[in-house]
Formats: sequence, structure tokens, C-alpha cells
Amino acid sequence: MKKFLHRLFNHRVRALVQKEFRQIRRDRRLAISLILPPTLQLLLFGFALSATVSNIRLGVVDDSGTPESRELVANLTESKSFQFAGSYLSVDKLGAAISRGDLDAGVVIPYDYARDLYRGNPSTVQFLLNAMNANTAAIAQGYAQGVIQSYNQGLAAGGIHASFRQIAAADVSRRGIVSLHPAYLFNPGLVASWFIVTGVFGLLLILNGSIVASAAMVKERERGTIEQLLMSPAGTYEIILAKIAPLFVLLFLMTLFAVVVMETAFHVPIQGNLLLLLAASGLCILCGISIGTVIATFSKSAEQAQLTSFFVNPPLSTLSGAFYPVEGMPHILQSLTAFNPVYHFVVISRASLLKGSGFGVLWPHFAALFAFTAVLVVLSVWRFRKQLS
Amino acid sequence: MATTTTIPGTLGGTPESSTPAIRVRDLRKNYGAIQAVRGISMEVAPGEIFGLIGPDGAGKTSTFQILAGVMEATSGVADVFSRPARETRAQTGYLTQSFSLYPDLTVSENIRYIGDLRHVPADEIESRAQRYLWMFDMGRFSNRLAGKLSGGMKQKLSLVAALVPEPHVLLLDEPTTGVDPVSRREFWDALAHLASDGLTILVATPYLDEAERCHRVAFMHLGELQQIGTPSELRSSLHVKRLELRASDLSRAEKILSEESGAREIISDVQRFGDRLDLLARDPLQAEELVNREMKAAGISVSEIRLADPTLENTFVATLRNIGHEMHETPFPARHTHRELKGQIAIGAEQLTMQFGSFTAVNNLQLQVRYGEIYGLLGANGAGKTTTIKMLCGLLDPTRGKVQLAGADRAQSARSQAVRQRIGYMSQKFSLYDDLTIEENLEFFAGVYGVPEDERREKREWVLSFSGLEGKQDLITGSLPGGWKQRVAFGAAIMHEPSVLFLDEPTSGVDPLARRAFWTMINRLADEGTAVLVTTHYLEEAEQCNRLGLMVAGEFVAEGSPSGVKARQTGHLLEFVVDQPQKAADFLKLAGERWRVSLFGDRLHIISDASPEKAIAATTAQLNGIGMNVLEAREGRFSLEDVFISVVERARLQGKVASDDA
Repeated sequence: MKKFLHRLFNHRVRALVQKEFRQIRRDRRLAISLILPPTLQLLLFGFALSATVSNIRLGVVDDSGTPESRELVANLTESKSFQFAGSYLSVDKLGAAISRGDLDAGVVIPYDYARDLYRGNPSTVQFLLNAMNANTAAIAQGYAQGVIQSYNQGLAAGGIHASFRQIAAADVSRRGIVSLHPAYLFNPGLVASWFIVTGVFGLLLILNGSIVASAAMVKERERGTIEQLLMSPAGTYEIILAKIAPLFVLLFLMTLFAVVVMETAFHVPIQGNLLLLLAASGLCILCGISIGTVIATFSKSAEQAQLTSFFVNPPLSTLSGAFYPVEGMPHILQSLTAFNPVYHFVVISRASLLKGSGFGVLWPHFAALFAFTAVLVVLSVWRFRKQLS
Repeated sequence: MATTTTIPGTLGGTPESSTPAIRVRDLRKNYGAIQAVRGISMEVAPGEIFGLIGPDGAGKTSTFQILAGVMEATSGVADVFSRPARETRAQTGYLTQSFSLYPDLTVSENIRYIGDLRHVPADEIESRAQRYLWMFDMGRFSNRLAGKLSGGMKQKLSLVAALVPEPHVLLLDEPTTGVDPVSRREFWDALAHLASDGLTILVATPYLDEAERCHRVAFMHLGELQQIGTPSELRSSLHVKRLELRASDLSRAEKILSEESGAREIISDVQRFGDRLDLLARDPLQAEELVNREMKAAGISVSEIRLADPTLENTFVATLRNIGHEMHETPFPARHTHRELKGQIAIGAEQLTMQFGSFTAVNNLQLQVRYGEIYGLLGANGAGKTTTIKMLCGLLDPTRGKVQLAGADRAQSARSQAVRQRIGYMSQKFSLYDDLTIEENLEFFAGVYGVPEDERREKREWVLSFSGLEGKQDLITGSLPGGWKQRVAFGAAIMHEPSVLFLDEPTSGVDPLARRAFWTMINRLADEGTAVLVTTHYLEEAEQCNRLGLMVAGEFVAEGSPSGVKARQTGHLLEFVVDQPQKAADFLKLAGERWRVSLFGDRLHIISDASPEKAIAATTAQLNGIGMNVLEAREGRFSLEDVFISVVERARLQGKVASDDA
């Protein structure tokens, strides 16, 4: 092992790595971009996005009128996300109140709710959402699902289906057109900012990793020094290793920094094994660096690399479940998330941090993340070699 | 030492005028503690071509930036047509060393853009663009993307763009760096035209044959002007004669003549130029006698001693030596030798061909370079030199053909680390990392090439001393002027004592003194068995190669030793000294084939296929016919540059074209 490491980090690699570190040190923007944006993004998304989730005005139509139905309403409103804003006698009246803007959301508990639960049959609870504010509606929906999911976990059998329906405020008569879709949620967490922050964490690793890596990779090519480098005895693997190693170290420091920010600013609990999380972070960083490298090999300049990353980054972030629960997405997109390394990392990070899940539960996501990392690293090395010849 | 010796006399034939176009009085520029310009004064008359020459870091670029109005002077006057330079920016055209147009716009779009910026009416832009593009022989490229032009073309385009707003003053900061001899000559012909139309031109150049074509020249060193005068005034200011010595062993001859104590008193300076030594002496007869005696004693056969006037380059070097600016001669701390390899083939290529799509960049090239040999690859921009080098050293896979490099054929992996370890490579540009300090760059190259730890320090110190940068190792490399970067890059490329060395235009932008130090070093490496493959646009230094290959459109059109190549040149070279050289050249170009006529400083070179006597008589009659006087006419010796230009032009006439012209 020692011999292998010695061969891996021979005098050439040492010289190359030292050169990279020195260049990074001179490049103040790079250093700043590793500290400032992650902090800002965590703080901004954590505070800004989660603020809209609290105090959603909830109207209730309780056709069941049983202790069980009251318990459900209490569950919904006991956290500060939903605020009880009044009971209504009929679905129409509830709908009208939402349309007027008096309410943000409504819940309709059916007549046979308690009986179904008692018999262990599934029951359907209908949610009405104000489509005027699509963002709040989406968050409210995800949130309601979360509450119901955790409520379901306390039941022996059966469980509740939540069905959602959005109402356009301007046109009450068209409300029937809006589709209904029931869904189960995995685990959005009970404090909203925790949900966001743990998700953004994953995005930071991959997006920052890819941006920083593509910038560092393309620089050599843009300035024309790559030729000189290729003429040196350094092999392709040594060049790539030397490029990746310093970035990996820096991004890993950024990861630790982000964990500190999450812990101090949002009091995110660290329930699980921190080492497990850091291992996942390492894979995630490698993914990001590889994506950046591949982008760089298709680009002649930093500008081109940046433009190319516009094609890559938005789908990565929207299909990650970092901001919105994956379960709230259309099915076809949901299946796509399986091919997104960020999604797997976000699942690991949430489950590990918030629920304390261990490797035994999370291994499929680890396997997926590892597979992505392996494929992307191989792809980036191949592309890098290819552009040289 | 700070005094400027202005040589009294006329203004070199420029029109007497009451207001100078450029007036500089006691101009100073400080960057922090560094004094870049230390109180210079000069005047440039309207219609004058004024050359600013000096070693790298003399303060030339700072002076240009102040006169262009893009930088504030620390103190002093910099007036253009009696108004401060900042206010006359609109009437000043400024060309920097780097290409500052848009590579993704076409030639005509670039010109239109510059014209629009300066509020030139659209129809005026059109007509001026046409006029200048025609003048520079670029009319057929107006729809080509600027980024796809060769170096020489880009510089011509920059000049056209600078001319479209019709400036009164043109400032050119080393405009021909990296430009091939053919384009360079065209460029200077165009400048001469513009000046005769009344444009004032201030130009800096590291090529002293170009400086010969200026009306007046100022010699700048360490931020001060040392001398101002016409080229002939500067040349005669040395009060010496020049002896050209051609002998069998020039290295030894140089050593003897510059070290022998008796010789030093008679011969004030010994300089090597390609295949000859230039000796400066007050008494040429006495010097000739001494040379003959010394050479005989050393057993060196002298083939020719020829008396001539000193050149500007002699003057430049001698002046720098007088004021104590000598290139440092720290011996290279060589620890290894490749002498045992001498004679074996280091670089070999058979039927080397490279095609990019339908375009053949290199066609069926045959090449062999042995250890201990210096091989020069010459050619115009776009002739395929760089592509050839890249294939030879394994950066590019040839479409066809075989390459052999440093004892490994390509099948055996010329890219293997063991082979790379034996190779030194200095690319045309960007050899160093601009964002690292000089020291860090050197550390990097020493590390990556595995220079043994115990040698690194002395090697680094040697590079610093060779570059004249002792004590400045912590400067950021990007802040160095181009010439200095080249020196460091050259040093970095040979620190690991390679047995095969590729140098792609190593001396471009380097001042004459440093250029000579480069070649001294290259010769020394070759003596130790290193195989050197070098490209250059400076044909005088190409004379120092053992063998040359002259490329046109991806093929060799001439190959052999410098003297062999010259000997195979058909026709005769005639040298004319006339009273109005520029006018005479223009006239003769129109009268006959354009390429046969060229201006070398104040001398006309004419290549004729007829016998020398006949041709001299005919040309003299021609010139007399339009009222010009021929002061001197004789048969001259082909320089490599003459050969280069005539070979390239003849190939062009036969339909072989460089990639630019396709």
C-alpha cells in the first residue's frame, strides 16, 4: 500500500500537485467561490424557502367528526407549517374561501374516515390547494404528505391516501379540470428548513465541484500550457490525479464547512454516523469534479464551459429532490431522478442526518452513488485523454 | 551615463516642419519603486518613421502606452500635435504586441466595427477598407474569420483596422513579432508607403534589420534614451569598420579573437552572426593582419575576410557592451553529456503526412536529425512547421508516415515517460504558467522532469542568471515582458539536460543580445550531443543551424546546409545603394517581378537571372531614367532571407500556396 502510494504520488505528481495548489492560491476568486456561495446558498435557501412554508392557512371540512379525524387535523396544525383558519360545512364553501384568498389550503376528511381506519382499509383525504401561489401550493402539498406519512407510520394497517386538487382563484368553475393525484412521501423531515438545507447540501457538492473543476481544467487549455504539460514525462493519469486531488481536498473542506453552517445556523441534528455522510460526500464531490472535467473537455474556453454547464446543472438540481419532494413530481420525472447522483446523495444526507439511518438501510443509494462516480470518473479520464490526441 | 548623445545633423531626410508630430519632454513613469521611464526627450516629425530600439524591459512599451493615451505619465510632457496624448487618442492608431481584434468576426466585420467606434461614415469605411486591404494584398480575405488568419495576416489586419479612422500618428509596439520574413517585408513596405503619404509612425522592434528602414532611430536602455540619430549616423558613431570573417571553425575563432589579449586592443568587438564573425576595428588593415596571423597559428582556415560598414545590430550590441549591459555568461551547470550518442539518429520521419479534412498541412516529409546536430525548420506562417513539430514529438498523430524519436519508434510509444524524459520542448507561446512566480515555474519544471534534487538549486540559479533575473524570482511570470518570459522558458526547457530539444520560435520577441546568448547556449548543447530542432523567423540566426529545411505549403522546397541551400540558389544577387531607396524599390517592383526587389535598410537587393554586369547596367539605366542616382552597385552574396523569399515566391508562382492563401 505504502509502495503503491509512493508510486502514485511520485516526484512528478508532487510537482504537479504543488503547482495546482499554487495556482489555486493565486486565484482568489476560486478560493472565495468555495467558501462564500456555499454559505450564502445554505443560509438563503434555508431561511427564504422554508419561511414560506410556515403559517399556511388551512380550512377544514370534517365530515367524519370523530376523535381520529380531529387527531389528523391536530397533527397537521401542531407544527407551525399549517395554521388552523376555520371549519367549513361543505367542500363548496371551502373552495370558495380558497378562491377568495381567505385560505391557502383546505382539507376534506370523508364521512367514513374513522371507520376505514378502524377496519384497516385505506382512506382518502382530499386536500384543496390555492393554485395562485404554485410554490406555496407545492410546498404545502409536500408537507401535508409528510405529515400523513408519519401519521401512517403510527397505524397498524391501512393508512390514509392524500388526494390533492388545486383551485385557480380566478375561475372557480374550472376547478374540476385540475387533476388529482395521490402520493406517498418518503420523508421530508419535520422542520422545513432542515428539509431544504440537507438537500441544498448535496447540490452544493456537485454543482460547485463541477464548476470549479471545469474552470481549472479548461484554464490549461485556454492558455495553451496544456501542450507543454503533455510534452513532459507526466502521464495522463498523473496529470488528472494532480488536477483532481487539490480540488477534492478543497471541496472536502467546503463540505466540513457546510456541515458546520447547517449545524450552527439551522441546528440540523446529526443523528447518523458522520463518517458515513462524509464518505457519501466524497463520492459526490468526485461526481461533481468528473462532470466538470467532461464539460471542460468539450469547451475551448471558460465561457464555453460555463455555458455548457447551463445544460447540465439545472436538470441536476431540479430533479434532485433538494427543493421539492420528488414524490410531488410527475411519475415520468420521478423515475428520472434515479439517474441523478444528487438525488441519491440527498436521500443519504437526509436520512443520515435527520433519521440516523445507517449503511444497512442506505446501501442501495450508496451503491448507486458509487456507480455514478465510477462511471463519471472513467468517462472524464477517457474524455481528457481523448482531447489530448 | 544618463546623458543623451544626440548626433548633430539633419533629420534623416524628413521634411523640416515647425510643429513636431510627437513631442516628448522629460517623460517619466514609475511603477511603485520601479522607474520604467527615466526622463526621456525626443521629437518626431510628421511623416517620419521613428524607431525605438532597446533590450527587453527598456521602457519602450510604457512609452508607447503613454503616447497612446491609455496610461498616465508620472511626470513630463507627451504631446501629439501639440496637445496632450490623452486628448488626441482619437487621432492615434495603436498596435500592441497582442492581437486585439475579435477572432470570431470576419476581416471586414472587424474593420467595420473599429470604423463605427470612431464614427467613420459607412461608405468611407468601405472605401478605406478596400484601399488598405488592397495595399496589404489582403483583399481576398475580407470574409475570413480573423481568428483563422495567420500571425502575419493578423498583424496586417490590425494595421488596416488602425488605419481606417485615418489617424495622424501610428504607434506600433513590436508589430512583427512572430511574423515570417515575407510578411514582415510586406508590412514594412506598407509602412514606407504610409509615411510617404504623411503619416507619422513610431515603431518599436527587436529586429534591427527593420530598424534600418526607419528614418531615425532612438536607442533606449533602462528607461533612458542613449542615442538618437539616423541609422547611418548611429552606425558611424562607433568610428569603426566591420570585418566579416568566414572560417572553418567559427566557435574556436570567436574564442581566440575575443580572449587573446593582443587581439582585444585592435579588435574592439567580436560577434557571431550565423555563418560569420563580425569584427569591429578602428584600423581594419591591422585587424585583418592580426586575424590572418592568429587563425594560421590555430590552424583554422580562413575562407573570406570582407570589409564593410558596421550594421545597426553591431552598433546595438557594442553600445550595450560599452554601458556594461552584457548578457551574463554563467556557464550551464551540465551534469550529463550525450556525446556518446553523437551521430545516431535522434529524430526521424518518413513520408510524414498530416491532413485536416481535405486540407493537407504536411505532405510526405522526410527528415533526419542526428544527435549533436542543429536542424532549422523554416517557412512562412502557415507552412506547416508547427504541425510538423507536433507530429515529431508525438502531440499529433500523423495521418500517414513514420516517426522515430529519441531511440523509440512510435509503435513503441514515443509518448512513454522514458522518452519524454529525454526531450525538451519549448512551444511557440505559453510555455510558462502566468499565474505562478518565476521560481515556482522553475520548481515545477524541475519536478515534473525529475531533475535530481541536488542539481535543482544550481539549475534554477543558472536560469535566473541566464535570464538576467537574479533576485527577481518572486515576480509573477505574467508580469514579465515577452522577451524575458522567452528566456525563462528556454532555461526551463533545458534544465533536465534533454538529449533532444524542440524549440518553436524560441527567440521571437527577444532582443539581439539575448538572442545571441540563446544561440551560444544552443551551440553548446549541440556540442554536448543534444539534437536540436528549431524554427525561427530570424533568418540570420538560421545560419547557425547545421542543416535547414525550408517548407512551403507543407513540403520541403529546399534542404541542406545553409551554404548548400544558398549555393543552389539560381540567379545573382545585386546590391544597389541609391539616393531614394524606397522610391526606387517601388518603381522596380512595378517594372518587373515584385519578389525580385527588396529593401534591406538603405540597400536595394535585386535578384536577377541575367549576368551581374548586364543586370547592373540595365537596372542603373532604368533608375537613371527616372532621375535617380545609383551611388553603388555590386554583386552581393545571397543571404538566407533572400533565398527564403525567392524560394517562397517561386513556389507561390508555381501554384503552391500556404494555408493562408488557399
